Amino acid sequence: MIRFLVKRVAQAVVVLLLVSVIVFVLLHLLPGGPARAILGVKATPESIAHFNHQQGYDRSLPQQYVMYLGRLLTGDLGESYKLNQSVTSLLAERLPKTALLAGLSIALAAVLAVPLGVLQAVRRGKAADYLLTGAAFLAYATPVFFLGLVLILVFSQQLQIFPAEAPQADTVGGLLADAPALVLPVVTTALGIIAAFSRYMRSAVLDNLEEDYVRTARAKGQSSARVMARHVLRNALIPLATLLGLYLPTLFSGTLVVESMFNYPGMGLLFWNAAQGSDFPVLLGVTLVVGVATVLGSLITDIAYAVLDPRIRSVS
Amino acid sequence: MTAPFMDAPSSDRTAPAVDPAAPGPAPAAPGPLRRTLAAFTRNKLALTGAFVLLGLLALCYLGPLLHPTDQTHTDLSQASLPPGSPGHLLGTTDLGHDMLGRLMYGGQTSLEVGLAAGLLATLFGTVYGAVAGYFGGWADAAMMRVTDAALAIPALFLLVVVAAIVTPSKPVLILIIASVAWLSPARLIRGEALALRGRDYVHAMRLMGGGGTRAVFRHILPGAVGTVIVNATFQVADAILYVAYLSFLGLSIPPPAADWGSMLSAGITYTQVGHWWLIFPPGLAIVLVVAAFNFLGDGLRDAFDVRLRKS
Amino acid sequence: MTADPLSATTRPAPGPAAPLLAVEDLHVEITGRDRTVHALDGVSLDLAPGEALGIVGESGCGKTMTALSVLGLLPKGGRITGGRILFQDGSGRPADLAAAPEPALRDVRGNTIGMVFQDPLTSLNPTVTIGAQVAEPLLLHRETTRRDAWAKAEETLRLVGMPQPAERMRNYPHQLSGGMRQRVAIAMALVCEPRLLIADEPTTALDVTTQHQILELIDDLRARLGMAMILVTHDLGVIAKRVDRVAVMYGGRIAERAGVRGLFAAPRHRYTEALFAALPERAAAERTTLATIPGLPPALVTRPVGCRFAPRCAHATARCRTEEPALAGEAGHAYACFHPAGAEPVAAAEPAAAVDSVPDDRPTDPGILLDLDNVTKRYALHAGPFARRRGAREVGAVAGVSLTVTRGETFGIVGESGCGKSTLGRLVVGLEPPTDGTIRFAGRDIGALSRRELRAHRRDVQLMFQDSYASMDPRMRVGTILREPLVIQGIGDRAAQLRRVGALLDDVGLPRGAAERYPHEFSGGQRQRLGLARALALSPSLVVADEPVSALDVSVQAQILNLMRDLQREKGLTYLFISHDLAVVRHLADTVGVMYLGRLVETGPAREVFERPLHPYTRGLLDTVNAPDPTAPAAGTPLTGETPSAAAPPSGCRFRTRCPAARARCAESEPAPTEPAGPGHRVACHFPLVASPGPVSSG
Repeated sequence: MIRFLVKRVAQAVVVLLLVSVIVFVLLHLLPGGPARAILGVKATPESIAHFNHQQGYDRSLPQQYVMYLGRLLTGDLGESYKLNQSVTSLLAERLPKTALLAGLSIALAAVLAVPLGVLQAVRRGKAADYLLTGAAFLAYATPVFFLGLVLILVFSQQLQIFPAEAPQADTVGGLLADAPALVLPVVTTALGIIAAFSRYMRSAVLDNLEEDYVRTARAKGQSSARVMARHVLRNALIPLATLLGLYLPTLFSGTLVVESMFNYPGMGLLFWNAAQGSDFPVLLGVTLVVGVATVLGSLITDIAYAVLDPRIRSVS
Repeated sequence: MTAPFMDAPSSDRTAPAVDPAAPGPAPAAPGPLRRTLAAFTRNKLALTGAFVLLGLLALCYLGPLLHPTDQTHTDLSQASLPPGSPGHLLGTTDLGHDMLGRLMYGGQTSLEVGLAAGLLATLFGTVYGAVAGYFGGWADAAMMRVTDAALAIPALFLLVVVAAIVTPSKPVLILIIASVAWLSPARLIRGEALALRGRDYVHAMRLMGGGGTRAVFRHILPGAVGTVIVNATFQVADAILYVAYLSFLGLSIPPPAADWGSMLSAGITYTQVGHWWLIFPPGLAIVLVVAAFNFLGDGLRDAFDVRLRKS
Repeated sequence: MTADPLSATTRPAPGPAAPLLAVEDLHVEITGRDRTVHALDGVSLDLAPGEALGIVGESGCGKTMTALSVLGLLPKGGRITGGRILFQDGSGRPADLAAAPEPALRDVRGNTIGMVFQDPLTSLNPTVTIGAQVAEPLLLHRETTRRDAWAKAEETLRLVGMPQPAERMRNYPHQLSGGMRQRVAIAMALVCEPRLLIADEPTTALDVTTQHQILELIDDLRARLGMAMILVTHDLGVIAKRVDRVAVMYGGRIAERAGVRGLFAAPRHRYTEALFAALPERAAAERTTLATIPGLPPALVTRPVGCRFAPRCAHATARCRTEEPALAGEAGHAYACFHPAGAEPVAAAEPAAAVDSVPDDRPTDPGILLDLDNVTKRYALHAGPFARRRGAREVGAVAGVSLTVTRGETFGIVGESGCGKSTLGRLVVGLEPPTDGTIRFAGRDIGALSRRELRAHRRDVQLMFQDSYASMDPRMRVGTILREPLVIQGIGDRAAQLRRVGALLDDVGLPRGAAERYPHEFSGGQRQRLGLARALALSPSLVVADEPVSALDVSVQAQILNLMRDLQREKGLTYLFISHDLAVVRHLADTVGVMYLGRLVETGPAREVFERPLHPYTRGLLDTVNAPDPTAPAAGTPLTGETPSAAAPPSGCRFRTRCPAARARCAESEPAPTEPAGPGHRVACHFPLVASPGPVSSG
């Protein structure tokens, strides 16, 4: 376990460094280099040269990278030149809100997907299974924004149950206070994940039902329901932790689209607005933070998996 | 997740064994290609997927011949007509473009970019993954950490940053999407190559004195070809979605060019006033084409697995 | 606290006429994706309280289906289509389990009938503690508190010989060895004190020594608890001394049913007779051809007409092919055969295929073909870039093995799993380089060969894989597979290569049409033939065969062993034959090497080693083997305990922790090989069994 943890953390650190390298490379791919991106299109060559010298952008790339990394470690992600605010403070404002959206979506997905998957496995080859399989395929193929538009048309325009715009509060508590406005963004984000997780649960339960230990459990006189609850579910649920880690990038991509559609005041909206206005410090800052969040998230889910699975937990 | 359970001594029971005492030459068994094709045509969903794709291709490329429309000039006298209006089966946009014609025209962009980017990503990812998997060791570890890092940044964020840096044209868009989409096939093929390299039949070939070239071209590549083809269909589906996402976020090929994603994006503002016909045709077209590619991929996966599963 | 809590319960003994279990004319069908198999077709059995019944047969004969039907645990698609299964659970009238609804069956499972399955690695839930799994049946079937159930589970673990049961209760299955897991499985089956224990191949997945311990345990528990048992196995050795009566199954029917001694002494059904004759243990002398059963068992997709064994039977007549023989015969010995074997002992009977002895025509001055000098192979425990730097954590799979193989002989290597025998094979064929030591082939150090020389050397040494199917590219036709070695080595033109493929198929007894087929179309035995054909394509002088028959049924195993022997004689081959099966090695090998924990502990002529073993480990192994003979004398000193980890082998002699004769010196220094009983028979032991007059084991 210790060995596994050390190895896994070391791997995460390497990946984190590489993520920073990728963002660093993107910074240098910007038209006119970092100076043009940061000073804006109207900057004169003199001011650019001055800026480059001042910021050390005239040194060798490895040196620049070390400086860049140093700034990252002190929490300096640069200044937004559209919002006149440091990227770090912008992120500090927006990150918790995106975390709320993502967290609620994951919770909804888990609550719905596990029973749906089990239902499909138990009713394999029956109408319910085919129906849900079809729905999952449809959900896979539906772009998040199209789904969001359809939900808005139906639940906001026609039925007028939920508002089409997300809550516009400054705090997480404020967002939660306006729960009806959260419904459409959360459902839109969650649906693809529900499809994926329920498909996983279906096949995991079916696989586990084929295992020898299920036959042993039945040979003890257990009912199917008890075999499912006591034996199969436990073994099928543990790998769900790693699957969650694998789905983090998809989840974040989803929040990007959902936030820009529903005008949800999170990191995704910040990012989208920055893209429209070529606000590169914000774009790259968000990209870096999302990358770091994904790496840390999958590290946590991997560790959770190791803790949950006794086969990994108790080895050395 | 787990291999199908099969205990060793049962092999004699399940195998449709050749009777060694049977006189005369046995009829030749069908080859892998024919068996794959046969299995594929038995899969109704996969066939449906293939037909839907053919239909969409015909609509987008042959359709304009039967239903020519002007998609460059605006005609405000014909703006925002509902479906069923004379001459405009699916209505018109706010700028007076015929929706049906636009659907065909936009579909060309979506399909071309999606197919090209998906195939390019598969090609590059396959080579990258095969190299990492075949050489293994340090090269593999380094190459895989790079993909890990790139995969850690959600694809859409990378796409948006790159699209914000350069102004996309069709070829540029293809390159942008391929530059992000190659990562997952790279990982997949690397795993496949690693697994195939450790197979007993590759060991057996080495014991006959065969070298790396033969291992790669006679055993590993033919073994991985199914995985590559199946993955390619999923990659194309993903790429079509990526095009749509980028267009939707306003970062794709600028107007008057159109694709299904940008059509949806243009239609958002008019959902408030109930112009639903601007949303559903392009949205459903995306769902249809992506689902069709997914069904096709699933069918192909089953077809390629068939000879291994029946053993 | 009593040591034996379960036997405290005394049961009313039912009258002799009331069987505990009576299976009457049972029919079972299994519907698969595209066909229905008639797995059982009129099976009748009965079992008295406290009696032990063995069900034997080859794969697909229906023995496991019979066992699973009793508990209503048939696999998906399986259903009982006829017959009754009457079980007397002690509460009055016997219940028909074949017609019982699911809740009634659940009351029986794990309660009055316990079941133990084949593979202890997969039949326990990996994420539930041992304690919870053993206590589970109690919580289901008894009005008991969690605490009491836990205490009873611990008692039961102690009963099945689990050391430190209280600690083991909190462990997970993967923390236990295979043998210990099977003890847990037995505890689970016994915790409710069943009247009947059904054990389906309970020892097949285990090593010889563990197998022996588990069988002894089941024997002992059965006697102490007075329960009846059905022991299902393919291994005639397993049942010989463990059951009262035996039912032999073939093609979904009972072929013969008799008391164990009567059956082993004089089998009447021609199938049983042929099965015994195919046993390598029964081959009168070591270098004889085994009797074989041609062909394969029926697939049972269609209901065969006539006797199911007729197509493979040397005694079959027209009547056998049209009329189905009924199970009949004298009291206590029933058989379904029109032309039963005589009542005389099997050794004197002339079985289907004649047992002809092979003249020993090997060259008089053979010369050394293969020479291993102090060969060692170590693996890093944790793979990865930093593994080597951290050092220490290594497993010595092969530790300083020296041996010589002379041209034309069969050198057998035996040992339990993990002893390093397969690794040794991989080193000899050059799949991996040794960490240390030299391997010389025909006098040349193969570690010093250039690339080109190594390529040429490949022609001389070939490997026959344990799983030939995995060793053949599933996308290639057999013809291409057999031709590949010739293409790689550039031997002959296309036409010559094709002729060679035809000749190879002739050699291994397969039709030439096989070249057009794919590997998956062949049965297990046929695939081994193909594996041998490919190994011979380059006309090698040495063939390393790694467990080539361990996945095969006895009758098919005999075909392959005979084929290997015939081809050796024809082509002057040398075999390095690796197996865990002492009987097979004894049958085939001229010289034998015994490995234990990476070391070669004893080598010598096969007859010498098997009849006068010098190493206590060899002696113990021979005493542990289950001879297929109920009248064989009780074994001397079977091996106890478990093999230590190869990552931390014991100091001095590696066997000392399990050795009955170990003394202080064994822990201090490693024994050097000596030849205390004469030249050619080497042993690495401080106290070899030179003067041992012990009884000669027949195993």
